[in-house]
Amino acid sequence: MAKKTSGSDDGRAQGHHHDQGHHHDQGHHHDHKHDPLEEGAALRVRALEEIVVAKGLVDPEALDSIVEYYERETGPRNGATVVARAWTDPEFKDWLLNDGTAAIRSMGFGGVQGEHIRVLENTDEVHNVVVCTLCSCYPWPVLGLAPAWYKSPAYRSRVVREPRAVLKEFGLEIPRTVQLRVWDSTAEVRYLIMPKRPAGTEKMSAEELAQMVTRDGMIGTAAL
Amino acid sequence: MDAIHDMGGKQGFGKIPLEDDYVFRADWQRRAFALVEALAWATPYNTDQHRHAVERVPPEEYLRRDYFENWIIASETLLQEAGLVDQSELEAGLKHFDIDRTKHQPVGSKEIVEATRAGAALRFPDDSQAARFQVGQSVRVSKVQTARHTRVPGYVRGKIGEIVSDEGVFQFADAVAAGTGPAPQHCYNVAFSTSTLWGEDAEAEDRISVDLWESYLEPV
Repeated sequence: MAKKTSGSDDGRAQGHHHDQGHHHDQGHHHDHKHDPLEEGAALRVRALEEIVVAKGLVDPEALDSIVEYYERETGPRNGATVVARAWTDPEFKDWLLNDGTAAIRSMGFGGVQGEHIRVLENTDEVHNVVVCTLCSCYPWPVLGLAPAWYKSPAYRSRVVREPRAVLKEFGLEIPRTVQLRVWDSTAEVRYLIMPKRPAGTEKMSAEELAQMVTRDGMIGTAAL
Repeated sequence: MDAIHDMGGKQGFGKIPLEDDYVFRADWQRRAFALVEALAWATPYNTDQHRHAVERVPPEEYLRRDYFENWIIASETLLQEAGLVDQSELEAGLKHFDIDRTKHQPVGSKEIVEATRAGAALRFPDDSQAARFQVGQSVRVSKVQTARHTRVPGYVRGKIGEIVSDEGVFQFADAVAAGTGPAPQHCYNVAFSTSTLWGEDAEAEDRISVDLWESYLEPV
């Protein structure tokens, strides 16, 4: 199976459209030709799909539309636009930090798993990082669907217990003078981190700045 | 529910799998996600019930299986419990009986996308329920454990934290998952010091913030 397709490290994992599932390792030299667990899962999904379509519970066209919606209309570029605007527009920043949901809605982003969004600002004194220890809650409209590592047992179990060690694995060392705040998304609020604006970007436009904002920066597992 | 999904603070899971930096790595995962989302509009169950069904996956399977396969298993469970699908159908991958289509109509793709863009109605007016707690107040998290769905992570049970903000009035996930209505109540952001949670193991004086519904909290 396509275990490690072109791994996106810049938060645009959703830009890889239908090229991942179809060309299983062609041209690769991995020796894992098939994975029985994955084959079992794929069969299981197909079986359920056939049954519920035959019963008239699901319109097959809707399946394509749902995927298309998430891949085209959600993703970290949305969050990056919000962050870059807040960096360049103090009034918008105040609004965003006081009522993230409304400010984000005003830019056209909202919907399922983004009904209520709180934005947290990283500063010289405080660094914020987000997790969902119970499942995989994540602000879909502004970050897209969560990457697999965010849903992994290692991330979910450890980031509340040893957040500094976890961030170090991401390559981010938080000085002892900075307080770390971990936000466990246990109810209906979803969290978006506003990273610190990098130094030397004073003359950049919001559009240019948005290019610098990464998905991991907005989860809190990277600095910019 | 006190099961493996409640992972906060558990030990032994090793390094963060940074290489797993994908949303979907196979088309079946994409399909599984879409199927779960599409079913949500045509079936009698809701997101909280789906979460509970994921939590009911036996721990060893939960850990071994792919995340999206657990989602599919949860949907199978709920469809079976609703009498819409049976085990023989799932095994055969074939329909064996018809359902009452007047009661369960598929929602069209345009309607689903519109509803997804709009989001779910989860919140009630702030003044619709009295708030039992104030910002700045210390609270203790209830020690009550339940086999049902709950959103109290085990690692804060019985611990004392401080109310940092009142997030407003929301439907109560435990009640929604139990099918007993929205039971709207205030939900608070509660901050815990890492030394309260982990004692001498704490790395530094850091803070863990957890959103907790009023029913989970007791005054100190």
